[in-house]
Amino acid sequence: MLHKIKFLVPLVGLLAISCKKFLDINTDPNNPTTIEVSKLLPTTQRTLGDALSMDEQNGGLSEVLAVYTHQMTTREEADKYGITGVDVNLQTAWSKLFASTANPGTTFPVYGVLQNLEDIIAKATAAGNLRYAGIAKILKAYTYSVAVDVFGDVPYSEANKLKEGILHPKFDDDAVIYESLFPLINAGIADLNNTSATNAQVPGADDLMYGGNVARWIKAANTIKLKLYTQIRKVKNVSAEVNALISAGNLISQTNESFLVPYGPNAATDDRNPGFYTYFATQRSNHVSPWFYEIMKGYNPNIFTNNPDPRIRYYIYNQVNATQAPREGNQTEYRDGPFVSIYFGSVGPDRDRSQQNTISLFGIYPVGGKYDDGSATVATANSGTGAAPYRLLTYADRLYLEAELINTGVITGDAKAKLAAAMDESFKQVDYVITTFVKPTQSVPALVGTNAVATYTDKVLVEYDAASTAKKLEIIMTQKWLSSVGSAVDQYTDIRRTGYPVVFDPSNPAMAPGGRVQPPINGDPVNPGNQKSVPVQLSRTFALALPWFQTELESNPNAPAQKNPSTYKVFWMP
Amino acid sequence: MKKILFTTLFFLSVLIMVGQSRTVTGKVTSADGKPIPFATVTVKGTSTAVSADENGNFSIQAPANAVLVFSSTGYQASEVNIGTETTVNSTLTGQGVMAEVVVTALGIRRTDRGLGYSVAKVNPDNLLQKSEPDVLKSLQGKVAGVDIRSSQGTPGAATRIQIRGNNSFFGNSEPLIIVDGIPYSNDQVTTTSQVSNGGAYSSGIANLDPNDIATMNVLKGSSAAALYGSRASNGVIVITTKSGSTRRSKGTEINFKSSFSRETIANLPEYQNEYGAGSQSAYSNANGSWGPAFSALDSIPAWPTYKAAYPELFPSANIDYTPYPNNVKDLFRDGFIYENSINVSGGDEKSSIGVTASHLFHKGYVYNSDLERANLALGASTKLSIGINVSGNFSYTRANQHGGFFGENQVSGTASSFARSLFLARNWDLNLPFEDKNGIPLQPNVTGYDNPRWSARYNTINSNEERFVAGGHFDFTIKKWIRVDYSLGTNVARIDRREVTEIGSRAASGLGRLVLDDYRKQELESNLIVTLTPELKNKDLNLKVLVGNNINQRTVTDALQTGNQFITKGIHTLTNTSQQQFTNDIYTRQRIIGLFGDVTLGYKNFAFLNGTLRNDWSSTLPVENRSYLYPSISGSLVFTDAFNIKSNILDYGKVRAGWARVGRDAAPYSLNDVYTIDPSFIGVPAATLPSTANSPDLKPEFTEEIELGTQLSFAKRRVELDFTWYKRQSTNLIAIITTPPSSGYLAKVTNFGGIRNRGIEIDLMVRAIRGKDFSWDIHGIFTQNENIVTELTGGVDRIQMAGIISGINPYLEPGKPFGYLRGTVSARDAEGNLLIDPVTGWMITADEEDMVGDPTPDFKMGITNTLRYKGLSLNVLWDWTQGGDLYSVTVTSLLGRGVTKDTRERQTSWIIPGVYGDPNNPGQPLLVGGKTVANHTVITTNDLYFSAGGPSGSFGINSATEWNVFDATSFHLREVTLAYEVPKTVFKKMSFFKGVTLSLTGRNLWHLAPNFPQYTNFDPEVNSFGSTAVQGIELSAAPTTRRFGFHMNFSF
Repeated sequence: MLHKIKFLVPLVGLLAISCKKFLDINTDPNNPTTIEVSKLLPTTQRTLGDALSMDEQNGGLSEVLAVYTHQMTTREEADKYGITGVDVNLQTAWSKLFASTANPGTTFPVYGVLQNLEDIIAKATAAGNLRYAGIAKILKAYTYSVAVDVFGDVPYSEANKLKEGILHPKFDDDAVIYESLFPLINAGIADLNNTSATNAQVPGADDLMYGGNVARWIKAANTIKLKLYTQIRKVKNVSAEVNALISAGNLISQTNESFLVPYGPNAATDDRNPGFYTYFATQRSNHVSPWFYEIMKGYNPNIFTNNPDPRIRYYIYNQVNATQAPREGNQTEYRDGPFVSIYFGSVGPDRDRSQQNTISLFGIYPVGGKYDDGSATVATANSGTGAAPYRLLTYADRLYLEAELINTGVITGDAKAKLAAAMDESFKQVDYVITTFVKPTQSVPALVGTNAVATYTDKVLVEYDAASTAKKLEIIMTQKWLSSVGSAVDQYTDIRRTGYPVVFDPSNPAMAPGGRVQPPINGDPVNPGNQKSVPVQLSRTFALALPWFQTELESNPNAPAQKNPSTYKVFWMP
Repeated sequence: MKKILFTTLFFLSVLIMVGQSRTVTGKVTSADGKPIPFATVTVKGTSTAVSADENGNFSIQAPANAVLVFSSTGYQASEVNIGTETTVNSTLTGQGVMAEVVVTALGIRRTDRGLGYSVAKVNPDNLLQKSEPDVLKSLQGKVAGVDIRSSQGTPGAATRIQIRGNNSFFGNSEPLIIVDGIPYSNDQVTTTSQVSNGGAYSSGIANLDPNDIATMNVLKGSSAAALYGSRASNGVIVITTKSGSTRRSKGTEINFKSSFSRETIANLPEYQNEYGAGSQSAYSNANGSWGPAFSALDSIPAWPTYKAAYPELFPSANIDYTPYPNNVKDLFRDGFIYENSINVSGGDEKSSIGVTASHLFHKGYVYNSDLERANLALGASTKLSIGINVSGNFSYTRANQHGGFFGENQVSGTASSFARSLFLARNWDLNLPFEDKNGIPLQPNVTGYDNPRWSARYNTINSNEERFVAGGHFDFTIKKWIRVDYSLGTNVARIDRREVTEIGSRAASGLGRLVLDDYRKQELESNLIVTLTPELKNKDLNLKVLVGNNINQRTVTDALQTGNQFITKGIHTLTNTSQQQFTNDIYTRQRIIGLFGDVTLGYKNFAFLNGTLRNDWSSTLPVENRSYLYPSISGSLVFTDAFNIKSNILDYGKVRAGWARVGRDAAPYSLNDVYTIDPSFIGVPAATLPSTANSPDLKPEFTEEIELGTQLSFAKRRVELDFTWYKRQSTNLIAIITTPPSSGYLAKVTNFGGIRNRGIEIDLMVRAIRGKDFSWDIHGIFTQNENIVTELTGGVDRIQMAGIISGINPYLEPGKPFGYLRGTVSARDAEGNLLIDPVTGWMITADEEDMVGDPTPDFKMGITNTLRYKGLSLNVLWDWTQGGDLYSVTVTSLLGRGVTKDTRERQTSWIIPGVYGDPNNPGQPLLVGGKTVANHTVITTNDLYFSAGGPSGSFGINSATEWNVFDATSFHLREVTLAYEVPKTVFKKMSFFKGVTLSLTGRNLWHLAPNFPQYTNFDPEVNSFGSTAVQGIELSAAPTTRRFGFHMNFSF
């Protein structure tokens, strides 16, 4: 008996070994366990752009904030400041900023900013590829600054540490986060300047923003600091820091040094500006705000009155001409010749009429759509390339920041000259974006050098000269608001910090007497004469911050209770 | 058509033959000479059957030389060739009531007496020829403890089956289906999201030929299933096929079945035809029918789209403003099901062979939806001279499903074929051309949806499925008490799917899109079992021991490619697209090795104890946790025998109890973190960390179950009751926990949480009348299951089970029903008053979402009445689903678009009952002098059902989700069958004929869902997510069907 069992021992052993081999098949053959930082960097940059964009399809912050800054109107929740913590735009933006996220509604996996940035910092630092680490730190600082500007307190010190065991990060005080961003940017600059780094791998084409150009990254980093100091100027004396930055001179100082996320024209992998989606959306919900339009047209009685903005054809594309009936056969709510839209806060009978192929859309400059050459054709995916960048911080923005700083006495200088330079740069930026990025198939005239531009700028400066200090600031901020069309995040911050530009308020009797607003007389070619006035309402008051994403709160026991957006102040608001 | 003609002629020629009748009488008795009441007497190879009376006497029509089969529950069936006799008596041997043999796990046959757990035996005859091609759907209302849910009303759409609730947060909760010993994958392959742009995908079981089913047993509890290991925690359905069956039958049997059924849409809403498109009683070219009365307006501007496309059809600037009462009805057609099947088997003492060939064509009521299925199955067995039994079987299935796209049309970039179908504005004429001269879809109002006729024609999903099943089995009895069984089998399912969005559709940017999905799943299963049945010295004891080994391997490959922008119309290939993308290219493989033992001890044939033990080694778990052991124990006691209870009231009584624990492994590749390669961005390669963090330290999850039950028989089997109570608790589930995005991940795979299922199952048979010629049986089933999430993990309030759309999603939350629906709700004050926005008069939407429904029904009931008179039988099945909630886009849209008679009376103004609230602080009432103010803001009927969206809303479209969720209680007249057994005498001169049955069926003839708006006529038995775990959400699904069928069954 015993000898039989002895015989079995090696057999059982053999069986055990082959069983182990038989079962050791759990290595994922479909996805890599490690990857070069050069593959992660473009993801972070693109996702940052997506999260902040006017993304009607998947959701982005500007999709809400452009409504709150009155450049866009919509029938969605953002109308009447109605965004709550479950809003899809918040979901997308919050998730994309912090974590990698699958894009709802599509099969593309899309991306994450901060988690991938942390991975780049760790990998690049360990390998001595400090240029990557430096870029990642600057992007991280920028991302957090935006999160604080929009939401106030957010997780910071414990964020992105799931793999270190922190599942539920606490929310940090917004002021404390901001303070730590300056050293973080400095650390990023130091990494970029580090000459003793091995830098076996350096960013090139994979750096979508600056192609690995260290000098430009440092200029961007310094300009971000300038912006952040400006934003906190009401709660802290920032003169010394700001003066130091300006006198050092290492700031964004040319059009092509602007800090922006480029987009491309490819539909298959969809690398187009998310705001371009409206061109082929089958239910277009992004309208151009009549408030924004009227300021551009010179209709607003309080600012730039009778001074039409020559950028209007670059900013707004009209699908119909001045005399055409709506393509749907429906009555329009707001019409001014070719321009068709709806009001913010409208409860008028014509608000919800389908005007899919009649409404005016954002044009070639903000979203890579169509330059309004008067052709009055229905927008399609082929109307434009969609390759407009999302502008985070342009050279023009830097000049407006300086104009504001001078106007408010933080620094000394000639505010008018700065404003003039900023406006010139704003026009230049339009031409630059169209020729360098959008590359349209239609022919688009240049703005710079035209009489219209000169006339417009001169008139603005005349108005500026005659204005009070407060009005001067309003003019600076309103020009900045016009210049930054399509990028609503800083606009929202500016409105909350400075009160400018003045935006439409349905409950203000001066703007909506008797709760009604009047579209332009004779604006509707189908029904000549007085267009019907439109009743407008406001349910909620202007939001001082966006609510936190509800799922974050519900899945994080260390999160605070949801804020009241009407009263919650970000620390830089006095 | 040719086929139909051929078979019809064939049947006619058969029916012309006539002959004389012949009656055979006799008595059925048991071995001790006592009559066996109500024994069944069948003419072999036919469905001619009669029941003996109380005294065992029977009378049956049978031709000469027919074989009569005598059977009764608990006895061995006996066959008698009657030759020319007219009086035949039969004696049956066996244990009497409840000694019936049941197939349990791994094909082990046990007597019903010895089962310590609940097993439902399904008679395949109850599933066939009922005008229902889907085996699972035909189980509806027939088996206690089984929850069957249908999805879309189009051919081939998946059916969800669940036994005793969900046991897993995200994994598959459907039972394991075993066909001829090999797992049969019942996966629903979801190519594109069913939220937005997916098809009415089928589930794998649709490939199984119902005509080939010989036996079907539902093992409901974990004890019953413990031997199958991991996947059996959801219950097991054990099917043997006729062709794959190893049982030998002498002689030749040929069975031919043919069916034809007509199908229509079951219910259309009752439309109002007094008001057309517009809003607030003014005409506009809108989707909603809130415009002026037809009597108040003569003409409207010609639809701009049509006028532009066909100026010749619209010579005038205006068209009549007039209703099209049938515009919805005309979108649908009459469908049909045509099915033929032939089964041939034959053999001798040593060998047998069986072949089944079937063909089904199902044309749906929706244009361009159909399913064609062909099955061929072959099985043979023989006993080799050395004493080894060998059998093998092979089957091939090919199924071709066509259909359209479904989903929530409001999601950007989608085009549901049912986007507006059921709620067309009442003045829309959809008989106008559906496309312009360039083939672009035309609708009365510009866009927002594709013309349903256009979608049916051009936007199509075509799934081509093939399945091969092959198996071999050997058994050898070494000694009288040692038997070795070995079986090896494979089941390969392949789906080749093409989803076409044609140029011009609102989806795919109007440029066209092709999605190709090539999915293949192969499953290999090997089982070695040694059975020991030693004879014990104590003759009262009976022992059976099994030891075995199981090896299972599953391999899935899935390649998904997307081509965007067709170059030219009508050619649907990747080469005809401008931009292509590899969306998916996945390979997964997992393996399990199991060792198991099973011991059954019986005492005097009235007390039984069964224990099982299994250890699994899984490839998907970390090496140190990959081995896990789990036991089960169950017992039964026939107390009427044990305590010798002799009673005229209670003639049989058994109690049973079982406890089991079943372990389960993880999904493959859940241990290590990987990066995801993204599509290039502006030509730059890109990758990202995943959104879900994996865990290298996963442990197996376990489900524990206790069940108690009893089987009782009263008054000589006039009444039979089977009652089961169970409680099942799953713990330490391997699932994905939602993490706050700020952690860097949206979710993490880990072990956490618990789910409890608790319920009862009742099966009651009442033989109300048992006469010589006439009988009336009532069979009732009752299923009640409470499915509660017992815990999650530290600090997490709830987890979203699946991301559907903003405002309505299924969630998991401790103390709440599994997958309960959560969505936006209207704000209420502390007293529960609705808070009204003083400006709009609508209800203020609360900031936080809340529970808005529970999709799990409170209970389900089915009652079958069977009446027989001689050769004629009538079978009527009613079922009742109590409770369960449904979020319905269809009903919301019917109300919000103002198209049904529910919203016809619209001259009234309304005040929503409630108090004024502060829109800035939802939940806070507006106080005047410290007191609330009753709402007195008046709104129109239009505004009552259609609100603009924003911080307040009303009841239909754009309302808070809670108003779009309805109680789905429903009653269905599910099935009516009238069958006639043609008397044998008819075939006197044709002795090769053994029987002909003709039957008429009606399916889904009537329903009542009392808690839905009356005129919507809505049948809540629809769901947009097929057989997935997401239930209770309907996003413009295709309504249910009604069918009438004629069926013929011939045996030779």
